[in-house]
Amino acid sequence: MKFRSWKNVIREGVKNTGRNRVMSMASIGAIMAALFVLGVIIATIINLNNAVAELESKVEITIYMAKEASEEDIKEAKSKLNSWEGILEAKFIDKDQALEDWRKEMGDKSYLLEGYTSENNPLPDTFLIRVENPQYVEDLVNKAKTLASVEEVRYSSDVVNSISGIARAVRFVGMAIVILLSIMSIIIISNAIKMSVHSRRREINIMKYIGATNWYIRWPFLIEGLILGMIGAILAGAATAGVYSLLLKKAQEPDNFLSIFGLLPLENIVYPILSLYLIIGCIIGALASGLSMRKYLNV
Amino acid sequence: MIKMTKVTKAYGNLKAIKDVDLTINNGEFVFIVGPSGAGKSTFIKLLLKEIEPSSGKININGLELTEMKRRDIPYYRRNIGVVFQDFRLLPDKTVFDNVAFAMEIVEASGREIRRQVPAVLAMVGLASKARAYPHELAGGEQQRVSLARALVNNPSLLIADEPTGNLDPVTAREIMKIINLVNYRGTTVIMATHAREIVNAMKKRVITFRKGSVVADRAKGEYFGEV
Repeated sequence: MKFRSWKNVIREGVKNTGRNRVMSMASIGAIMAALFVLGVIIATIINLNNAVAELESKVEITIYMAKEASEEDIKEAKSKLNSWEGILEAKFIDKDQALEDWRKEMGDKSYLLEGYTSENNPLPDTFLIRVENPQYVEDLVNKAKTLASVEEVRYSSDVVNSISGIARAVRFVGMAIVILLSIMSIIIISNAIKMSVHSRRREINIMKYIGATNWYIRWPFLIEGLILGMIGAILAGAATAGVYSLLLKKAQEPDNFLSIFGLLPLENIVYPILSLYLIIGCIIGALASGLSMRKYLNV
Repeated sequence: MIKMTKVTKAYGNLKAIKDVDLTINNGEFVFIVGPSGAGKSTFIKLLLKEIEPSSGKININGLELTEMKRRDIPYYRRNIGVVFQDFRLLPDKTVFDNVAFAMEIVEASGREIRRQVPAVLAMVGLASKARAYPHELAGGEQQRVSLARALVNNPSLLIADEPTGNLDPVTAREIMKIINLVNYRGTTVIMATHAREIVNAMKKRVITFRKGSVVADRAKGEYFGEV
């Protein structure tokens, strides 16, 4: 098609969108709802994945030695830990050091710990182990339990597993909702386009007699669908950004429950989501108008 | 040249057109007459390739219509101007835009449109009404707009389906004058009509259909038989 024809079909597409105001608004609302839900899901998943990655990167195994552990036991544990594969760093914190650290941490409330000396220190000797890679954790934990005089072995993978599980569930349920809402918005938009085509059937009929190509007739309606999809996407993007920045603000208040989540900054969320919105909005709009026009073009 | 060979169009058991053989030369003026349901509309739809014949061949200026690809139909139709009984103008466009619309569709330039539309409006006698809307015009004027739209792309064939059906005799005669002028300038005209007085006054070739068959085909013929 020539440039001036593109001008014509775009002008007609814009006119169509304005002409069926109610249907246009319903379509934009439907697409917006579908995309907004998608955005909520994506924002949740991105944040959960981030939390998982962060936790995994600092997977630590903490080995608490028993009170009665001898110098020999600790020496042996040290040398064994240094020989095992997958350990980035094995840091030994003796109980006196731990007590000292605790005192420092307490600051001006350190008087609370005054009664404790190296004689009655309640803290155990501890090994803090940083692991090269999360896959070693399980094996190392099992081996650590076999060391002599070990009281307890703790690690953070339980948390990682449960967060991953939540992310999986969110992805699964969320995708089902998004697909449902997308289908709904396709139906609503294709109805809007059908009405638009119907209200212009005389014009289409005349165009066919004069010798307009099918694409010349089709383009204004495709453009109408694209416009609806794009407006819906932009509004959904604005809504997502608004809600997310509100959450970020809340999360900064110290006593708000949201503050326990390390939320990612706005730009990490909004730019990927907005571009996705635009792509999906356009696809839904074009698909819906394409579907609704097939039978009207046979003159 | 339009050449139909053994053309039949059946809808189920009903044959709207039966074994029609006919030839129309370029530049001819042909009336298609006959009672309602005789096959006139089917004949026109076949020429426009709106429908396909059940059997037979239609050849137009060497083009085999039955073998034409779907995507070539628009380009074929650009050589044909069509006028209907109900005018089929777009109510929200001015006279000028209704005619310009036909040129936009065939991707004419703005300059061509600005030159060609006033010329064709002048030819149909509507130069002064370019900015009017269809509802502001009388029936005869609306049909002139419709004619202008059909002619603006210089078609080699004009098909008119009952163009005077909604008009009073005086207005109808004026429309016929324009159509006659178009034919005089070399465009082939095929006009389906019930208007006995017009057919008899014009002294052109008359093809009479009845029950899907051609029952009479006479040069300088007259309308005969019951309507």
